[in-house]
Formats: sequence, C-alpha cells, structure tokens
Amino acid sequence: MSKIKFSSKRYWALTRGGIMEGLSFRTSYFITIIGNFLYLIVIYFLWKAIYASSPSKTVGGMTFYDTLIYLVLAAALFNLMNSFLIFEMGRDIQSGKIILNLLKPMDFQVYMFFQKSGGFVISFLMTFLPTFLLVYFFTKGSIDLGVNLLYFIISIFIAMVINYCIDLFVGTIALYTHSIWGINIMKEVVVLLLSGATVPLAFFPETLRTVVNYLPFQAIYNTPLHILTDSTLVTKNYFWLLGLQLMWAIIMIAFSRCFWKFSQKVITVNGG
Amino acid sequence: MDTCIIFASIQPKGNGEKLKPIIQIENISKEFKVLNRREGLKGTICDLFSKDYRVLRAVNNITMDIQPGEIVGYLGPNGAGKSTTIKMMTGVLEPTSGKILVNGRIPYKNRTKNAENIGVVFGQRTQLWWALPAIESFRILKDIYCIDDITYKNNLEYFDALVGSSELSHKTVRQMSLGQRTLCDILAAFLHNPSVVFLDEPTIGLDVSMKGKIRELIKTLNKEKNTTVILTTHDMGDVDALCKRIVIIDKGNMIYDNTIENLRTYFGAYRTIKLMFSKEANGYSKDGLDQIATDLKDVLRTNFIKAVSLTVTVEDEWIVLLINEDEVSMMQVINCVQEYKKIIDMKLEEISTESVIKKIYEGEIG
Amino acid sequence: MSKSKRGLRFYLHIYKLILAQDLKSKMSYRADFIISIIGMLFTNISNFLAFWIIFQKFPSVMGWNYYEMLFLYGFSLLALTPVQCFFDNNWNLMGQVFSGDFIKYCFRPINLFFYYMSEVFDLKGLGQFLFGVGILSFAWYKLALPFTFIVAIKLVVSLFSASLFMIALMNVAAAINFWIIDSRGIMIFAFKFKDYAKYPITIFQSVFQFIFTFIIPIAFIAYYPSMFFIRPNELSILTYLSPILGVLYFYLSYKLWMKGAMSYSGTGS
Repeated sequence: MSKIKFSSKRYWALTRGGIMEGLSFRTSYFITIIGNFLYLIVIYFLWKAIYASSPSKTVGGMTFYDTLIYLVLAAALFNLMNSFLIFEMGRDIQSGKIILNLLKPMDFQVYMFFQKSGGFVISFLMTFLPTFLLVYFFTKGSIDLGVNLLYFIISIFIAMVINYCIDLFVGTIALYTHSIWGINIMKEVVVLLLSGATVPLAFFPETLRTVVNYLPFQAIYNTPLHILTDSTLVTKNYFWLLGLQLMWAIIMIAFSRCFWKFSQKVITVNGG
Repeated sequence: MDTCIIFASIQPKGNGEKLKPIIQIENISKEFKVLNRREGLKGTICDLFSKDYRVLRAVNNITMDIQPGEIVGYLGPNGAGKSTTIKMMTGVLEPTSGKILVNGRIPYKNRTKNAENIGVVFGQRTQLWWALPAIESFRILKDIYCIDDITYKNNLEYFDALVGSSELSHKTVRQMSLGQRTLCDILAAFLHNPSVVFLDEPTIGLDVSMKGKIRELIKTLNKEKNTTVILTTHDMGDVDALCKRIVIIDKGNMIYDNTIENLRTYFGAYRTIKLMFSKEANGYSKDGLDQIATDLKDVLRTNFIKAVSLTVTVEDEWIVLLINEDEVSMMQVINCVQEYKKIIDMKLEEISTESVIKKIYEGEIG
Repeated sequence: MSKSKRGLRFYLHIYKLILAQDLKSKMSYRADFIISIIGMLFTNISNFLAFWIIFQKFPSVMGWNYYEMLFLYGFSLLALTPVQCFFDNNWNLMGQVFSGDFIKYCFRPINLFFYYMSEVFDLKGLGQFLFGVGILSFAWYKLALPFTFIVAIKLVVSLFSASLFMIALMNVAAAINFWIIDSRGIMIFAFKFKDYAKYPITIFQSVFQFIFTFIIPIAFIAYYPSMFFIRPNELSILTYLSPILGVLYFYLSYKLWMKGAMSYSGTGS
C-alpha cells in the first residue's frame, strides 16, 4: 500500500514541477493567445470568402460558424498538444544526454508524461480557455454549453495521451536517425491533415474520409471537437466516441511502448 | 571588509615600463536588473504580474592594466564577476560606467575589429565545427581571419612540433575526447596570432596528464608569440604552472592584483606540515583519517589557544596541518602531535597557493 | 595581410566554406537525410491535398478561379524557398541562446548575422522549389499567360523581392528570442502565416488588409507580385513598390536581429 502511495507522490511532484516550469513561460503563453486570436481573424475572413462564393450555406454539413469554430479550436488544440517532446528527445539523443534520463529510477516514458502533463494543464488554462471564450463570443454563442463540455474535457485528455504516444514514437525514431527535423515536420503536417485540423474531415471526399477513419489521428482533433460542437449527440453517442478514443489510446500506448523497449537495445550514444 | 582595503592598496608599482598596456581597464562597473523572484507555486504565479526589480552590481569599480606578454590568472569564487569582466573585455557586454581599451580599441564599440586580434577559449564549449575534422575548422578559420598561407603553414607545423596536432586534427571534433577538443580549441585560438587570448577554465574536467600538456602548450605559445593570456580558472595547478600575476575578484570587487610571490609573502608566516602516522595493521581508511584529523584538531586547539588560524585537513594519505608561525611555533606543534600519535613521515612546505586563495575568499587576514 | 578587405568576394567565399560543412554533416546522417527528403515530399503533397480538398467543395473564392489560386500557390512556394533554404538557422536560435552556445558566434571578425545564417542550408527547400515550379508552370499554362524574356525577368525580380518579406518576418520572429526566452511559439506562429500567403488579400476587411500588407506583410509574398501576371489591368501602386519595400523590410529585420545579437551576453559562469 505504501509503495503505491509513494509512487503517486512522485507523479504529483513531477506534475507540480511541470506546472511551475510552465508558469515561467509567461510571455510565450501570451504570444500563443495572440497567435490563436490572429488565426481566428484569418480563418474568419478566409472562410467567409470561401462560403460567400459557395451556392449553399452549408457545405459538408457544416455552416460557416461550424467551420470557424472547428478550425480555430483545432489550432488551439494543436498549440496545446505541442509539448516539444520530440524536439527535446531529439536534442537529448544527439547530445547523449538521453542516458541521464534512462538512469533515473523511473520509467522514462511515464516520467516524461507526468512532466509534460503539468505543462499541459497550465497551457490549457492559459491558452486554450481564453481562446475558447474568444471563439464563443465571436460566434455569438454558437457553441452549446452543456454536458458536452464535460465530455470534451475528458476527450482532450485522452487525445493528449494519444498525441503523446505518437510523439514518443517519433522521438524514438530519432534513436535510429540521430536527428529529428525531417521526421517531425512530416509528422506534424500528416497528423494535422489527417486528423481534420487543417481542413475539417467533413470536407474530405468519400474515399479519403474512409481511409482517415481507420487512423488514430482523427481521434486527437476530430473526436474532441466533434463532441464539443455536434448538438445532435446523446449520452450513448458520447460514450461510444470516448470509448473509441480510449481504444486508440490503449493501442497507441502499447505500440509506442513496444517500439521503445525494442529500440532501447539499439541505443548508441555519442562517443568520447 | 578590512582585508579588501589592505590588498587593494597593493598595486604593482610602476617598474619603469614604458610599454603601453595592451588592456587598460579604468573604474569599470556593470549593473544588471534582476527580477525579485518569489518562492513556491503561489509565488511563481504572483511573479507573472510582478514588476519588482532590483539592481545587481556585478562588477564594482575595477581598475587594472595588463602588459603585452603577461599571463594573468583571473581568480574568484563563483559568481564573483569574473565572466562579466571578461565579457566586457571581449566586447560582448557594455560597461555601465568606466573606460576599457583592448589593443587601443573600445571592445564593445568595435567588436568585429577587436575580434580580429583576440582569441577566446571556453573550457566546455567548443568553437570548432562539430561534425568536421579539426583541420577543416582550421581551414575555415584561416579564411575568416584572413591568415596568409605562410603564417598558416608555419603555425600548423609549429603546433605539430609542440603537441603532435597533425594526426589529431584529422579526427572529427565530435569524436574527440574533452582533452583533445580543448587542445584543438586552444590551437584554433592562437592560429591567427592574436595579441590577446582569453582562456575560460581551459583545464576543467581534464585528467592530470592532459592538464600538464595543456599548461605546457599555453606556456610555450605565450613565450614564443608574446601573446597576452588572460586565464580564468579555479584550478590552482594552472595558477602555479602559468601565472606570475594574479588578480582576485570577489563580489564584483577587485581584492588583489599582484604577483603570486607577493601573495605568499603575505602568508609567509604560514607553514604546511604534512604528516603520516604509524599504521596499525593495514593502514587507515578515509574515515579513519578523517577521524584522526578531527581529533588532532581538538587536541591542538586545546593546547594552543592562540592558534586560531590552524587548520587540519586530509589530502590523500596525508594529514595536512596549516599553521601560522606568528601564532604558534612549528616545533611546539610537532612535539605536541608526536605525543598524541607517532609520526612516521613528515613534509614541510610553504603554504599552498590553493590555501592562500581559499583564505582570501574566506576573508581572513594574513 | 589585407584584413580590412572584407568585401563581397570574401563573404561569398566564407559562405561557401561554412555551408559546405553543414551539407557534409547533414549528409553523413544518411538515414535522417533520406527521411527529410521523404518528409518534405509528404509535406508538400499534404499541403497541396488540403488546398485541393477545399477546392473540391468550393469552386472559387471571391472571383478567383482554381487556376488563378494555383498560380498564387505556386508563386508563394517559390517565394518561400529562399527563407527555407538560406535562413533556416533562425530555428536553432532559441536553443542556442538558451544554452549559451550562441556566444561562440560573437567572437569572430565577421558579420554575426551572416555567420549565423551561413551555418545551415536546408536541402528540403529544394523540394519545395521543384513543387513550386511545377505548380506555377501548370497554372501558367492553364491560364494561357504570355511568356517572354521581359516577363521572365519580371518574374525573377518579383520572386526575389517577394522572398525578402518572409525572410524579414522570420528574422523578426527569431530576433525576439534574444529578449524573451521561450518564443518558439512566436516562430511557429510567424511560420504559419506563410500558409496564408497563397490567398488573395481582398478577402480581408480593410483593417486586416492593412495589417497583412504592412505589418505582417504576407500580401507581398504572392498576391501583389502575382497581380503583374494574372491581373495586369488591376495593378495597384503597391505592386510596383514591392522590390523597394522588400529591401526595406529586410533591412529593418536585419537591424533588429543584429541589435538582439549584439546585446547578447551569454549564460552565467
């Protein structure tokens, strides 16, 4: 019993450390909010023009406001999820510092997760929440404020886990390639496109849509946003969507873990 | 602090040198604005909205002249203001007040021009290109510094004669050990025959033989090329091997600027007595020696109340006594020790430079 | 030795040397090199797909048809290549400033900005260049635009001046790293704007048209220069001013960057 207590104290300490570290980045949060706001402006005009040239008010089942909310919150979520984990892992691998992390008396992946989770919480409060409020008032309250919010919060936490696993996977690849840039940019663009963050999945042509549904990426952005904005959903739907997401989370955790364990044997560190 | 006044007033008297100093620093000061941080989670949140700054005086009214060809040891505890002064000399920082001239130029005003005539080495950070063999870095530097072919060739040959750099320089910097990297960094710093070279903790983290090699290299280069060397270090071995003159800075103030010899005369009454005691069975463990040292100190202090400066430490397998002969006679101390425990071996020395510096840091009067 | 003769030839020579070391080093990491190239392909294809998907559902945007939009897209890709290839080291600035490694650039007798930028050349940008050429040519062909020697010169000049704006934008974003520690967000944020360069600025309300023309000048990356070619009857004075403004913005961004770099004093010890 005491062993479990001891562990959770560790995790909380890490999370708290992550929070404090996160708080020291005060200017960067301010910048992210401004960034989200400007993005909102650009998207607003762009899609207003796009919709204006369209014969109907609804395209792919989404109105102008729907698209607006979707895209801006997707961008805000992206900023939220962006924990620079890949960047840090790549850097540590290149410098050989990765050894220090592996020598800590805690599972590296779990350790990193709790450290990042602290920053995630702060980022959520400092950047996502304001952006959300901004979008809400901008679209004159087009987002329902009900129990969907609760499910939404749960959903983004699961999404964070999935995203974290993908990042870990990509970071682990750095053990082989010794550099992360190429893979990282590729991962970002692919993930953003295939998860519906660049263009709402509703606009995807049929074949592409089916392909995308079998990938975990849409569980990161599309699912939470869908939960948030679709007013036709009932409890049964929510649980189904969350369950699906959870399934993806478990798959990704298993996947990234196996890959990591496998790769640990292949570790080569900077000589000298 | 009284000590500071005593030492600070001992400036090198004009010894009739008509040479213009290569570095002139006059009443240099540097202030920084620092945010007053608060503790804990709540404090960090408050800091987000804080505008509470205080002024930190990192360097306070320092004056010194350095002649061409000198090797000056620049010492001081961590956070004393050493690197700040060096940064002002290299033109990276602008002094808050005061005048500074390097090679007749104001460093921060003519950074590029100043850079042509100086070399800089950081102990841990290499300035060479990481993924290239060192020789390639040298080639690039040749062109950056516009070194002519003859000088370049001569210097490389010279370096090779000194440390066998020719073979080493074909290794990529990434694959080198710390010692090899430092060696190449130093060579790179001297490659363009600068008039001043700044060495920031060059021997840090190196093994004993490498340290010796590097010290030899610096010494020879300084002698042959008459390059002025400003050496920042914590390693007393460096100081003993290389520096005739040392400057000590603490809390932003210069507290000493004179030769090593002079320093020793201040502590001339000090003697180091190294003792080894009779071993019972297998000799003493580290803990055993520590215990003896503590006990010995109590014994001596009780017997010699006036010996306030007395210290007892352990160095490898020796018990090291540091006594001030103005306070207590050396023979009396040795007799007392002999009564306490049988001495089987003994060495008598002057006070080590390290102890001197330590005492100065601790603000003790000599 | 003529140390004062640090003219253009000198800098070109040094640039070649320093750049070569980056290329050598990058190519020595073979796996990453290949992955980067593949990644770049993915990126370009992905971006194009996003563009294409939108146009499947929306045939035109405010009077600009698909091929005209393609022209803007291709043009912007080309204009964005120089910043990608030659000024890529800006991305490393935050890390180096934070760790103190940046200080090593401060002691050399060559221009800091130049030295820093010459350290990195991004080969991936060449892929983007090829994509841009492909798309622009395709759109050019479909729009049946004339192609003469004069037009070619105009194209090169306008591409060059267009590229200066993005370079200036990234310089400013990177320069902020000298004063604010964690401004990676700002670089990513600035970089995102390049994606909006491919849309005509007329979609914006006047206030934002102003912002995106003069403050975050993405309008000059594709829209204004392209007007020369696809809407020669609707030219505004800004199109003619593009080259001058480009040089001006670049110069200002350079000054800001240098200001930050010169006031950098490294980390403690």
